[in-house]
Amino acid sequence: MTMFHFFNCAILTFGPHAVYYSATPLSEYDTLGTSVKAAVVYLGTALVKLVCLATFLQVSENDGFDPYQELLKALIGFIDVAGLYFALTQLTHRNISQNHKFQAVGLGWAFADSVLHRLAPLWVGARGLEFTWDYILQGLEANANLVLSISLAALASLIWLRKNKPKTLIPIIYACAGIVATMPSITSYLRRGLGWYFPKVVGFELFTSLVMAFISWQLFSACQRPSA
Amino acid sequence: MATFKKSGGLRELLESMYSVIALLFILVACVELCDAAAAVDVYRLIQYDMSGSPFGSRFAALNHHAASLRFPPGADLSRTVLIIPLREMNMTFVREYITQKKPLGGLLFLLPEVLSFKHGGNKQVYEKEKMKKLLAELEQLLVHSNIPYPVYFAFENDDIDTVLTEIKKNDAMGQPATATTGGYKLVIPTAEPKKVASPTITNIQGWLSGLKADGDANQLPTIAIVASYDTFGAAPALSVGSDSNGSGIVALLEIARLFSLLYSNPKTRGRYNLLFGLTSGGPYNYNGTQKWLRSFDQRLCESIDYAICLNSIGSWDNELWIHVSKPPENAYIKQIFEGFSNVAEELDLKVGLKHKKINISNPRVAWEHEQFSRLRVTAATLSGLSVAPELFEGTGSLFDGRQYVNESAISRGVKLVAESLAKHIYGHQGKGVQIFADESSLAANPAYIRSWLDLFSQTPRVAPFLSKNDPFVMALKKELADHVDEVNVQHENLEGIFTFYDSTSARLNIYQVASVTFDLLLLLVLGSYLIVLFCFLVITTRGVDDLISLFRRPPSRKVKTA
Repeated sequence: MTMFHFFNCAILTFGPHAVYYSATPLSEYDTLGTSVKAAVVYLGTALVKLVCLATFLQVSENDGFDPYQELLKALIGFIDVAGLYFALTQLTHRNISQNHKFQAVGLGWAFADSVLHRLAPLWVGARGLEFTWDYILQGLEANANLVLSISLAALASLIWLRKNKPKTLIPIIYACAGIVATMPSITSYLRRGLGWYFPKVVGFELFTSLVMAFISWQLFSACQRPSA
Repeated sequence: MATFKKSGGLRELLESMYSVIALLFILVACVELCDAAAAVDVYRLIQYDMSGSPFGSRFAALNHHAASLRFPPGADLSRTVLIIPLREMNMTFVREYITQKKPLGGLLFLLPEVLSFKHGGNKQVYEKEKMKKLLAELEQLLVHSNIPYPVYFAFENDDIDTVLTEIKKNDAMGQPATATTGGYKLVIPTAEPKKVASPTITNIQGWLSGLKADGDANQLPTIAIVASYDTFGAAPALSVGSDSNGSGIVALLEIARLFSLLYSNPKTRGRYNLLFGLTSGGPYNYNGTQKWLRSFDQRLCESIDYAICLNSIGSWDNELWIHVSKPPENAYIKQIFEGFSNVAEELDLKVGLKHKKINISNPRVAWEHEQFSRLRVTAATLSGLSVAPELFEGTGSLFDGRQYVNESAISRGVKLVAESLAKHIYGHQGKGVQIFADESSLAANPAYIRSWLDLFSQTPRVAPFLSKNDPFVMALKKELADHVDEVNVQHENLEGIFTFYDSTSARLNIYQVASVTFDLLLLLVLGSYLIVLFCFLVITTRGVDDLISLFRRPPSRKVKTA
């Protein structure tokens, strides 16, 4: 029954993306094109990041936490943000409201991330006879990633697409965006530097993603009030 | 022009795509990489037919759940593999299961690591006698039964020990592992065992010529020294037979070396030819010896004064036995025995004489000398065993490893045989004359004995699984060629009543599997999670009305159909 397990983990990893698309008004406004474009931009960003990592990073023998390497990885991680900026601002979207634009971009971004990072291990590993909890945890991580991507897209759209923002909120927006953008570095520090086990790390990711989603939702609706 | 270029470019693109597609297919087809909880080397029970009747374990592939001896009573074991470590062996239980042919998925016996010739090394074996007795009993039961499921032997290590403790814990909770309750699954993915086509037995003979006086036209008399080198045991991949009969062959090689030193100098060359025989087919009623003797021509047969067969001289304490089939009153037998006893006295050890009559109608040949006696050649077997072994008993069993033999016992045996032969060849009657004295250049070399014994203890030598030009057999031939004048190799087919099947060792994968109920439960949980997520998103983004409207049928359609 190992294909069964693969099927279970697959719907846990990729199901929420499909559900999000069909449940929210995104499906009504047919924003699939936007999501696809965002996915392609993510692919390009990932390739650029790979090249940079290969050029600048040294492979360390031990699995410990090296601050300089992690700093370098975080800097390279900001290429992600640049890619998101490109997807939000430079691509031509059909006439969809800003509200839906960031959701579509975030969704496409998260879907591409899941497919690239999680499909191959799932296909190769989850079909074996041996049972591990890893793939279920990976699916939960994909869920957390979806929420984080959408909140990052929301904050990014607030930064670059909305021109009139209340002055007091601007530093908070930038701070939250910074935190969400550096989430990968934070999780890798937890895993290697503090030695947390995978379930604990996934729990932390889920918790922070919900918190950040709530915060960015509040910020978004706060910024929306003046214009509405 | 532009379209031409375009189509050419497209074709190139397609061609480069093919390699990507091929790679994709390979990745897609990439099935179970080894991700097992443990992977162990296992060795299968022998499978053979004797005169058409099947014996041994008849299957090789395994794909069942594992259970320990603490399974809940009344559980159905027909699709379970029982893992039984040797120290928890319950002989009555196993005997009951096998003799009453109760259904079982498979058996896996765990042997202590110290018995392994790959990892055990020379560690001490505790409770030697008890383990030997238990293993001998188990082997005799398994080798002579027809078992319709796979039986494997494995050595204990940390991985398999942890797995076994887990299984015992699960079993104690009353949950034997099946498809619906998870647990551990043992998988051995081998093909069905096939018959070994025409198994060959290879006899090696070495001839050391004696000194022929000028003008002497008669054939010199010959003395034969024979030992069989192949083994047979419950697990053919583990059957190294250090004592039976590695000790005999090592002694034979050492005697050949000593006599080649003597015979190399014409002044010390005796007036006897020496014939060394390394025979195969020992466990099968000394079939190889019989075929070897049949190939002799009559003159050679008549010129043999007597033959000494060596069998299991590695684990005796202070008494050796000479087994004969001619009555002890026979003059030749008396001469041989007296020669041996005199030397034994000088060497401070005992030699006893045992007489066992040959029954021509009985095909069972218990000692190698019986094959000689059937052709009216005087022969005796020197052995540490006092009783004749039964068929397939003590011919390389599981406990017969390096720890079971004693180099000094072999050295003393070598000295005994060499001195007795020398007494006969050179005819000196005085006591206290030792040709092969310790500290002399003709002393038995302990390093030589040790190195050959170590080699034998690491080489399983079951004859049907030794190919015609097996490197080990060739090594024996080369070693004998170093000592004697002429070496001949004789290839024969093993007697037709035996058929053997291959697949003697395999790799066992132990997987920890989740039950079907777990998968179904997980599906249920995930399904409800996705439905809840869907409802939540619809409510927060579109409102509750939209959610309800999804389920209410639009009224207009109803009117239309009506």
